[in-house]
Amino acid sequence: MIEIERLTKRYGATTVVDDVSFRVEEGAIAVVVGTSGAGKSTLLRMINRLVAPSAGRVLVDGEDTMAIPEDALRHRIGYVIQGYGLFPHRTVAENIATVPRLLGWEKRRIAARVEELLDLFQLDPGEFAQKFPHQLSGGQQQRVGVARALAAKPALLLMDEPFGALDPVIRSRAQDDLLAIQRRLRTTVVLVTHDMNEAFHLGDRIAVMDRGRLLQYASPGELLLRPAEAFVEQLVGTAERPFRLLSLTKVGEALEPGHAEGEPILLSATLRDALSQLVWLGREALPVVDAAGAPAGRISIAQILRHGRALP
Amino acid sequence: MASLRASLSLDRVGAVIAVLIGVALTAAPFVTYRANRIVAGEGRMLADALPPAGVAAVVLAAIAAAACAALIRRPAIRLAAAALGLCAVFPAVGVSAGFVAPAGNGFARVSPALGFWLLALAFALLAADALMRLRLGPWVRLAALAAAGAAIALLLLSGAWADLSLMKEYAGRAESFWREARQHLWLALGSTGVACLVGLPLGMLGHRIRRLRTALLQVLNIVQTIPSIALFGILIAPLGYLAAHVPLAAALGIRGIGAAPAFVALFLYSLLPVVANTITGLGQVPAAVTDAARGMGMSARQRLVEVELPLALPVILAGIRIALVQNLGMATIAALIGGGGFGTFVFQGIGQTAIDLVLLGAIPTVALSFAAAILLDALIDLTQRGAHDRD
Amino acid sequence: MSRRAFVLRGLALLLFVAFVTAPQLFAFVFEPLAANRAPAIYNQGSLLALTLSHLRTVALATLASTVLAVALGILVTRPWGQEFLPLSRAIVNIGQTFPPVAVLAIAVPLVGFGEKPAFIALFLYGLLPIFENTLTGLTGVSPQTLEAAKGMGLNARQRLLQVELPLALPVILAGIRLSVIISLGTATIGSTVAAKGLGEVIIAGLQSNNLAFVLQGGLVVALMAVLIHDGLGLAERMAARKPGRHGGEAA
Repeated sequence: MIEIERLTKRYGATTVVDDVSFRVEEGAIAVVVGTSGAGKSTLLRMINRLVAPSAGRVLVDGEDTMAIPEDALRHRIGYVIQGYGLFPHRTVAENIATVPRLLGWEKRRIAARVEELLDLFQLDPGEFAQKFPHQLSGGQQQRVGVARALAAKPALLLMDEPFGALDPVIRSRAQDDLLAIQRRLRTTVVLVTHDMNEAFHLGDRIAVMDRGRLLQYASPGELLLRPAEAFVEQLVGTAERPFRLLSLTKVGEALEPGHAEGEPILLSATLRDALSQLVWLGREALPVVDAAGAPAGRISIAQILRHGRALP
Repeated sequence: MASLRASLSLDRVGAVIAVLIGVALTAAPFVTYRANRIVAGEGRMLADALPPAGVAAVVLAAIAAAACAALIRRPAIRLAAAALGLCAVFPAVGVSAGFVAPAGNGFARVSPALGFWLLALAFALLAADALMRLRLGPWVRLAALAAAGAAIALLLLSGAWADLSLMKEYAGRAESFWREARQHLWLALGSTGVACLVGLPLGMLGHRIRRLRTALLQVLNIVQTIPSIALFGILIAPLGYLAAHVPLAAALGIRGIGAAPAFVALFLYSLLPVVANTITGLGQVPAAVTDAARGMGMSARQRLVEVELPLALPVILAGIRIALVQNLGMATIAALIGGGGFGTFVFQGIGQTAIDLVLLGAIPTVALSFAAAILLDALIDLTQRGAHDRD
Repeated sequence: MSRRAFVLRGLALLLFVAFVTAPQLFAFVFEPLAANRAPAIYNQGSLLALTLSHLRTVALATLASTVLAVALGILVTRPWGQEFLPLSRAIVNIGQTFPPVAVLAIAVPLVGFGEKPAFIALFLYGLLPIFENTLTGLTGVSPQTLEAAKGMGLNARQRLLQVELPLALPVILAGIRLSVIISLGTATIGSTVAAKGLGEVIIAGLQSNNLAFVLQGGLVVALMAVLIHDGLGLAERMAARKPGRHGGEAA
C-alpha cells in the first residue's frame, strides 16, 4: 500500500506538484493521467525520491520514505521509464540482475530469478539472456525493462510512460501482458501516462492531474459518471464516454437468460466488444458461452444500451 | 561468367598502385651508393643493384603484386600480394647493400633509394587498402601487428640488413640508440600516463561542474595551440628557477634544460585530449540510462564505476590514443633542449646532412606511433561492448 | 563575443605588435634572465622580419595544402573516386602518426637547407587535417538533403557547389585552422634547418645558453599562435552563422 500525503514540489516560484494526496491499495494499479506539464512525472519521481519533495510525505506500507536511505528505498521500488534506460554495455541477463546484485544476492539465486523472469515475459532464456539491448526489438526491450524493475520482487512498481515508445499494435499487447503479470504477482503499480485509453484499460483507479493539482482520484466508472470538474469531463472525452463505460463491464455481469442464434460471445468479453459484434453482424442478440464453450445465456442490444447510460 | 568478369575488371585503386610499381621498377634507382658517408651518392637501378636471381625475384614479385592489385578485387588475395611484395623488397635491399659495395670497403655506404621507397609505399598502400576492406576484428588486427613486428625483428636480427648504411649508423651507436629509445618511451608514455592520472579526475569533475568545464577546456585549448618548442622555451625559465631555488626539485633531477621541461610540456599537451574526451564520453551516456540507474538505487559511485565510465570508456580511450600518438611524435622535439629521445638522431642527422642518421631516429618514432595507434584502436573496439554487433 | 573577451583579444594583439616592432621597450622584463651581460633582446635580426617570414611560409604552405586537400577530398567523394575512399582514410590515419619533424628532417637531404624543406614539410603535413575534415564535411551531408537537391533538378556540379561545399564549409575551415596551427609549430622547428622564422630566437637562445632569448622566443611564438587560432575561430563562426546551420567543432 502506498499513501501520498499533501505532496508538493516547487521550483522557485513555480509549483509543479501542488498539495497532492491519494492512496493506492495493495495490489492495485493507479494510473496518473494529465496533459504534458501537469506534474505527473515529478509526482512519480517524488515517490522514489529521485525528486526531493518541497512539502508533504509518502508512506510505503505505512513507513515514511524519508526514514529509509535513498538507495535502499529505490532497491525496494521497481522503476520503468519511457526509454527503459537499459544498460547498453550489459547483456539482458546482466541488466535484469542489476538490483539483486546490488542487494548482494547469491549468484545461483540471481541466475534462477533471471530465468524465471525471462520465462514470465515469454523471452526464451537460451536465446535472449546473453543478447545486448541493441539486438532486441522495441517490444522485447520494453519487456526486459519491466523484468529488470521486477527482479528484486518489489512491492511497488513505478512506471513513467512505459509504453510510450511502442507502436500501437505492440502497445496494446504489452498492456495486456502487464495486466496479466500484475494480476499474478499482485504488485502495486503507479503508472503515469497521457493516453486516456491506456488509463481506462489498465487503471483500477485513475488520478487526473492538471497544472500540478490533483483534480480527481476515482475508479474509471466514477470518473465517467461523476467527473469532478469540466476539465476531467473534457479529458475523458464526451464522445467516448458511453463506449468507455461499456468497456468497463463484462458480458457476464449483464447476462440475460435464454438463447439466441449466431456466433457466440465469451462471458469474459466486455460489453463494448459485444456491442461491436452485434452491430457488425446486424443482430439484436447473440448467445453467450463460458470459457469451456458451454452456453451461459444471451446478450442483447437493449441490455447493452441500458449499461451505457449515465443514469441507470 | 558475369561474376568472373566483375572480379577481373580493372580496379582503380589497384591500377594506380600498379602504375606506381611500374614507375618504381623502371624509372627510379633502387639504392644509392656512396664511396663514404659524406660524399654525394649515385643511384643504382634495380638491374645493377642485385645479382640476376635477385633482380628476377623482385621483378616477378612486383609484377605479380601489380597484376593482383589491378585485376583482382578479393581483399584477402590483394593482402597476400602486398605481403609477397614486401617480403621480396625488404630482404632485397639488404642483399643489394652487400652486392653494390665493393668487397672489403668499410667506408662505402648503400642506402635505399627512391625506387625502393616507392615499391615499399605501393605495397604498403595495397596492404592498407586491403586491410580497410577486410574490416578485421580487433584481435586479428593485433595479431597482424605482432606478426609484422616479428617479421621486422627477424629481418634485423638475421643480419640481412647489416650492410645497409642505416644499420651501419646504428652499429656505431647501438648503446646510445637504446638509451635514447628508453628516454623517448619514458618521455612519451610517462607524460601520457601522468596526464591520464590527472586528466581523468579533472574530466569527471568537469562533467559535473559546468563552469569548471568551460574554463578547463578554454585553458587547455590555448595550451594545445602553443607550438612545442615555444612551450619548451617558456617552461625552461620557471623550471630553471625551481631547480636553482628548491633543493628538492634539483635532487629530483629537475633542471631548466633537459628532460624536465619536455616532460611537463608533453604532459600539458596530452591533458586536452584526455580531459575533453572524458567530458564528452561521460556527457554521451544517455539520460535514460543514468535515470534508470538512479531509479534502481545505484549510488553515485556505483553509477560512475558500473555505468558511466564503462559507457564512456571507448571515447576516453580515443582521447588517450590521440594523446599518446601525439606525444610519441612530439617527444622528438625534446632533443632540441637536451631532453634526449629519438630526436637526438634526427637533429644530429640534420646537422650532418646524413639522411640515414635522420632515419635512424625517424623510423622508430613512426613505428612506435603507428603501433600505439593500432593497439589503442583495437582496445577501443574491444571496449565497445554492446555498442554494435560483436560477431 | 563578450566585451571582456573583446578587450582581452585587442590587448593581446597590441602587445604582440608592440613586441615585434619595438622589442627594446620590453628589455627590462628579460634582463634578469640574461646572464653574463648577454643581450636581453634578440639582436641577430629584426623580430618583425622573422615574424613576416614565418607567417609567409605558413600562409603559402597552407594555401597550397588547402587547394590540393580540398580537391582530393572532392575527388574521392564523387562516385568515380569512391574506390579511393577507404585507402584515403587509411593514408590520413597513417600519415598522422608521422611526426612533423621527421618530414622536415627527411626533406633536408633531398632539397637542402633553407625555406624549401620547411615549405615541403608544412605543405605535406598540412594536407592531412584539411583532407580529413573535407572528407568528414562532405560525407556528413545528410542523404535526404542530397536527395532533395537531386529532386529539384540540380546536377552534380550544382549539388557540389550549392549544397555540399557550403554545408561542409565550417568543418573544412576547422581543418584549415588545425593545419595552420600545426604549420606554425612546424615552421618554428624549421629554424633548425635554417628556414627564416621565429624559431630562430629560441634556437639562438638554446645555443648561446641565453634564457632571455628562449623565453621571449617562446612567448612571441605562443602569442602569435594563440592569436591566429583565435582569429581563425572567429572567422569560422562567422562563416557558420547562417540560418539553420551549426558551426560544429570538428575533430
